[in-house]
Amino acid sequence: MTTTTLASRTAAPKVSTSINSDRQQLWIAVALVTATGILPSVLGNSYWEHSFQLVNIYIAVSVLQNFLFVDAGQKSFGQGVLFGLGAYGLAIVSGIHGYPLALGLIAGVVAAALGGLIFALPALRVQGFHLGFVTMSAAIVFPQLLFQADSLTQGLNGISMSIPSLNGKALFGISWLTILVTITPIAALFLHYRLRNARIGRQMRTAAESPEAARSLGIRPGVVGSMAFLIAAVGTGVCGLLFVPAVSFVTPQSFLIDLSFIFFFAVVVGGRGQLLGPVIGIWVVFTLPSMFLVDLALYKPLIYGLLTLVVVILFPDGIVGTIEEFRRKRAAEGGGEHAFRLESLTEWLHSLPDHTVDPNAKPIISVRNGTKKFGSVVAVDHVDFDVHAGEVHGLVGANGSGKTSLLNILNGFSRMNEGVYTFDGRDVSTAAAPTIANHGLGRTFQTPRIFPSFSIWDNVRVGLDARETPIPAGLQRLIDGMQAEHSGGMPSMLSHGQRRILEVVRVVLKDSRVVLFDEPAAGLSSKEREDFSALVRLLSRKLGTAVVLVEHDLDLVWSIADRITVLETGRAIAQGRPEDLAKDPVVQHLFVGGDHHANA
Amino acid sequence: MLSELIPNLDMITTIILRGAAVGSLFAIIAMSFNIVHNATGILNFAQGTIFLLGAFGAYLFANRVGFMVWIPMLLLVSLVIGALTAAQGWLTLKPLRSSVEQNSWLISTVSVSVIIASLLMLNFGSAGNMVHGPVPRVDIFGVRTPGAFLLAIASMFAWYFILRWFLRRTFVGLAISALSQDFEAARAAGLDVRKLQLLAFGISGVIVGSVGFMVAPMISVSPDAGLRYVLNGFVAAVVGGIGNNTGTLIGGPMVGVIAALTAFYVGGAYQDLASLTVLVLILMFLPQGLFGRATARKV
Repeated sequence: MTTTTLASRTAAPKVSTSINSDRQQLWIAVALVTATGILPSVLGNSYWEHSFQLVNIYIAVSVLQNFLFVDAGQKSFGQGVLFGLGAYGLAIVSGIHGYPLALGLIAGVVAAALGGLIFALPALRVQGFHLGFVTMSAAIVFPQLLFQADSLTQGLNGISMSIPSLNGKALFGISWLTILVTITPIAALFLHYRLRNARIGRQMRTAAESPEAARSLGIRPGVVGSMAFLIAAVGTGVCGLLFVPAVSFVTPQSFLIDLSFIFFFAVVVGGRGQLLGPVIGIWVVFTLPSMFLVDLALYKPLIYGLLTLVVVILFPDGIVGTIEEFRRKRAAEGGGEHAFRLESLTEWLHSLPDHTVDPNAKPIISVRNGTKKFGSVVAVDHVDFDVHAGEVHGLVGANGSGKTSLLNILNGFSRMNEGVYTFDGRDVSTAAAPTIANHGLGRTFQTPRIFPSFSIWDNVRVGLDARETPIPAGLQRLIDGMQAEHSGGMPSMLSHGQRRILEVVRVVLKDSRVVLFDEPAAGLSSKEREDFSALVRLLSRKLGTAVVLVEHDLDLVWSIADRITVLETGRAIAQGRPEDLAKDPVVQHLFVGGDHHANA
Repeated sequence: MLSELIPNLDMITTIILRGAAVGSLFAIIAMSFNIVHNATGILNFAQGTIFLLGAFGAYLFANRVGFMVWIPMLLLVSLVIGALTAAQGWLTLKPLRSSVEQNSWLISTVSVSVIIASLLMLNFGSAGNMVHGPVPRVDIFGVRTPGAFLLAIASMFAWYFILRWFLRRTFVGLAISALSQDFEAARAAGLDVRKLQLLAFGISGVIVGSVGFMVAPMISVSPDAGLRYVLNGFVAAVVGGIGNNTGTLIGGPMVGVIAALTAFYVGGAYQDLASLTVLVLILMFLPQGLFGRATARKV
């Protein structure tokens, strides 16, 4: 008994990697899809063969919807439109007009991609329910248009089309069509899995979780969101192509809004974000009611509507997600002590040579006459603000004095009403946050932007993803160590202070030439504070990073800052070295008890 | 050629009247969106089918009746729908407490919309039903106008002013308005946030339920019509700026008139396409709407 405990303890990182069950879910899903796809043919049951062809096509669409909805955070109620565009593209070009099949296939995918572009266009500007309404409207309008444009689509009569060559048997009495519709959802599942574990996938998830954090890491949420729409659209279009030979007939009735609801509800019922979710979801939402309610088709929407409502209210994680949560809780037992520490990072920084600072260098960031107004409130009032490479610059002042407003100008979240802001000589007065981030600026937030659905390692990794410079060997070893230790840990295990530190590590790994810390010490223990102070000093001395530090803990600021700016009601009332400022009467009242620091 | 494009005066009056009347309904749905949105941050996708519940209430309880029956039934149906909507609000707000995922409401309100529509479908079939109301036809600029058209326009203004008075002059209304500024501050000030939010849901139900009841004679009382109204109501809300009731007074009739013009020049089946186009254009170029509130929004 004791030995097993010991063994599991030493193998802690290994055990915790099982917390993420994506890979297992992927294989279960592949097995289920393969079984339901192939078995009916092998058993020679053509009814089930037919039924599961459609089921597997729908599963593929739902897998893409799952990716789009959860990983990319794009709320689409209109995937049925893209599906229908794929089907109609093929049916019109090759079915009605008899053009070669290849042309029809291309037409279908192109039509779906164009539809996806139209969805993606508003996604560049708006998110959430706006997008939900746009896509839902499209799902309402689409069948109306199919019906109206009868010179193109043959209206309500629909289009008959079969592809006889696909019905030929490939092997063991299995038709080509069956093989295709079995491979498609599997391909969709692998695509989802691969995307989720790729840099672009993490960027999409970051943008979905926190658009600001994404922007501060150089990601354009609108662009990655639109990209996700396009990927899902092309994939959904391919599924639409397969719908034609599977059903041999398309009509506007096949693509009513109910179809879009099925794809969407399947994701929710199965479990949002779970790889296996859409497979189970389509079975529960579509397959079971179709089997048992053949004569009661009218009840289907009621059934899936009720199912979805019940799931959202009682089991918000869906079927797979609820099981997964249960399993995760059991697996997490004993493995919860994954403290997240800075030491390894500070040790590595210590090993580096000192960064030499050119005393004549121009400031890396420079604000001249910066002014920001919110209505009649002047949050930042004609401020001049310079920070040099390697400098730690403290920014202090009472609440509402404009510290965070100034930070938001520096990283591009808000634009000045007046003034000029240059970054390394470049005018970035009107640049957007992702642009400034890509010039080499990183920041942390008052409330740490930690993504609960990412592992601790992936939370750190989004910083690495944003890195533009090569990773030195020493740092790489350290990163490998973090990966081994934190791949399985979820951030819900971390204390508040550790979450802050995680965000700090993320921004350090991004390798920013300028780092803005927004109240980094709030909630840290005294040990964590010390570590943090040491880290900031090392960043500036060893890497030449310019640090802007907004902090209420004045002891901390005075102990590590090279220069300090004091803000009051938006104006910079004092600027200088800490020892000089401490004697400045205008600064005195910042300190509780008056002359606290004057004597220090 | 030109004379074909420019219809005669009667036609213009008809189009404008029809557009304004239908548009008032969109404005009313938009107002009901706004009150819930300001109090909860939620947009209730089921508002269109709830509106239809009112119309079905008229079909069931007040078809071909006089004012003596019609008015009490109007009050009764509105209150019942208000209570149902408050119950929906209770269900919708429930998962928000625990779940990490913040968009549960999006799913639950859509599913409630599907459930209501399919229940109506099971009970009444998919065909549209005719309802005759007690308000007589009126001549406007020589155009015989159904009484329900005037009722629609009048109820838009009535609800606008009632809401304006309620939200600015009563304690409870002010408290609901305070929610749109800052939940935490409202809670800290001792307001029972959840109760106020349920009240907001209830009020939104009374608004769309009462108007659905009154205008049943001018709409197609069929189960799948709800989505049309929720879509156009949303477009009206976006055009006017979400959260801004004054904006809906312009947004609603504007969307209505555009739809009526589209129906006249292009064809009735393209009305929703026109609304969708307006929606996409506004979102692309004026995401805050024509009269959007410039207040800093939490990101």
